[in-house]
Amino acid sequence: MRNGTDRLRALNVPQRVEVELDANGLPIGMQDAGSGIRRSVEAIGEVWRIDDEWWRQPISRRCIEVIFDGGGRVVLFEDLTTGEWWMQKP
Amino acid sequence: MDRSLSHPPTSSQAVCVWIPLFGLRCEAARRPELASQPGALLAPDASRRVVWQVSPLARQVGVRPGMTVSQAIGLCPALVLCEPDPVHYDERFAQLLAALARVSPVVEPAELGMAYVGTDGLEGLYGGPEGIVEAIKCGVRNEMSAECGMRSAEFDVRPSMPHAELNTPHSAFRTPHFRVGWGKGKFVAWVAATRAKPGGAFIVPPGEEGVFLASQPVAVLPLDSDAHRRLRLLGLRTLGRLAALPEEAIVSQFGRAGRRWWRLAAGATADPVVGRVLPEPISASLTFFTPVADREMLVLALERLIERALRHPRRTGWRVQAVRARAELEHAASWLAAATLKDPSADRDHIAAPLKTRLAQVPPAGAVERLVVEFTAFAPGTTELQLFARDAGAAARAGRLRALRSAVQEITLRLKRPMLHHIIAVQPWSRLPERRYALIDFEP
Repeated sequence: MRNGTDRLRALNVPQRVEVELDANGLPIGMQDAGSGIRRSVEAIGEVWRIDDEWWRQPISRRCIEVIFDGGGRVVLFEDLTTGEWWMQKP
Repeated sequence: MDRSLSHPPTSSQAVCVWIPLFGLRCEAARRPELASQPGALLAPDASRRVVWQVSPLARQVGVRPGMTVSQAIGLCPALVLCEPDPVHYDERFAQLLAALARVSPVVEPAELGMAYVGTDGLEGLYGGPEGIVEAIKCGVRNEMSAECGMRSAEFDVRPSMPHAELNTPHSAFRTPHFRVGWGKGKFVAWVAATRAKPGGAFIVPPGEEGVFLASQPVAVLPLDSDAHRRLRLLGLRTLGRLAALPEEAIVSQFGRAGRRWWRLAAGATADPVVGRVLPEPISASLTFFTPVADREMLVLALERLIERALRHPRRTGWRVQAVRARAELEHAASWLAAATLKDPSADRDHIAAPLKTRLAQVPPAGAVERLVVEFTAFAPGTTELQLFARDAGAAARAGRLRALRSAVQEITLRLKRPMLHHIIAVQPWSRLPERRYALIDFEP
């Protein structure tokens, strides 16, 4: 018998990506770590930072809203504790 | 289940019955002085007091819909302003629809003062298009003269009367004001109605839709002002000019809306008249001991009335699609809020939400003496959507919950894992998107 938490599946879980950065540290291209699909960035939107849960496992993210060449708006974020890049729906 | 409720009757041949300035004409029927004085009706749902409908006399001196009261009075100091009475107009329009339904079973209301009548198969009863149109005109004439208390002579059709005589502002407001158009599909019928003289009819014979539409101005299309301006700049002033261009050229300029306009202009599409499902409305009312102006109290009363109407046995197995609340106010005024739910529901809060918004945005102009909630349209409660609606009570009463449970078990057995889920809010306020919502197995 499963309990309530076992049955929960989070939505909009971030996906691991590799990101190519320009001289200012902003993404110019991205490759999905799972599928290997590469997409170039056409425009950068907002940039913001999230610092949360400092009382247990601190979360620190630098989030960048990007629009891909050919369409598609996502949020790429850098996990500032590990240096890894992730992609998430806005 | 009544199959007619899920498959409303349709008709490709359409008659458009159009009564311009319907609200103002209802007022004129109650207030004869409006026939000889410039009059205007205030908008029922605007936060600012603006003019909604303008009589021909007021229009002659420059008063236009959308003007503020001070602008309108500035232009016409003798202007008679009427407070809107949407409940009254709605009732008059419902009676008009009932009169049309006596001619044809397929009647589709479009907006206040405009309705489409399906005429497929009516030839046997009334003869050709002329006979059908005459029957409809007769129905409208009788209804309006009886219900609005006007002299029937005012509604006499006088096709031989020179148009110039009808065009004086005074007579234009008193002469027969409905216009009727007959054609294939709703658009052709509507354009034909706009071309008809007051009290008259315009018939577009079958096969001549293209020729008829070609000479009509593009303004008859459902355009916004920007699109209208762009078409003018492109030199496209008639439907014929528009239809002469390749469809793809219009699509590339105006997108999906452009495709629709092109197809309408070319007569390539003929939307059928879709008859109304005629549910029996459910209503619940409350008469206050003393008139109530407190909004909190009205919201509470609204919720209680919705609950009461939801408990009506006739509602079992059905979700509410259209709801309206009407209030009788002090000094014989009224207030009306109507909403069509995008997702039909049997949940009190879901149904109450649009009415509460309306109550907050456009509150009644006075204290409420009586409040009525009516469910006027329903959606079948047996479709898949119902299974996921927060209407477990009704579904259970209808005996469907058991069937749902066994269906879910069967899916789980066959696919070895649960495939049906709910979305639940976990931490919707969280700054981390993945913490906000989650899927959970659906277990009825």
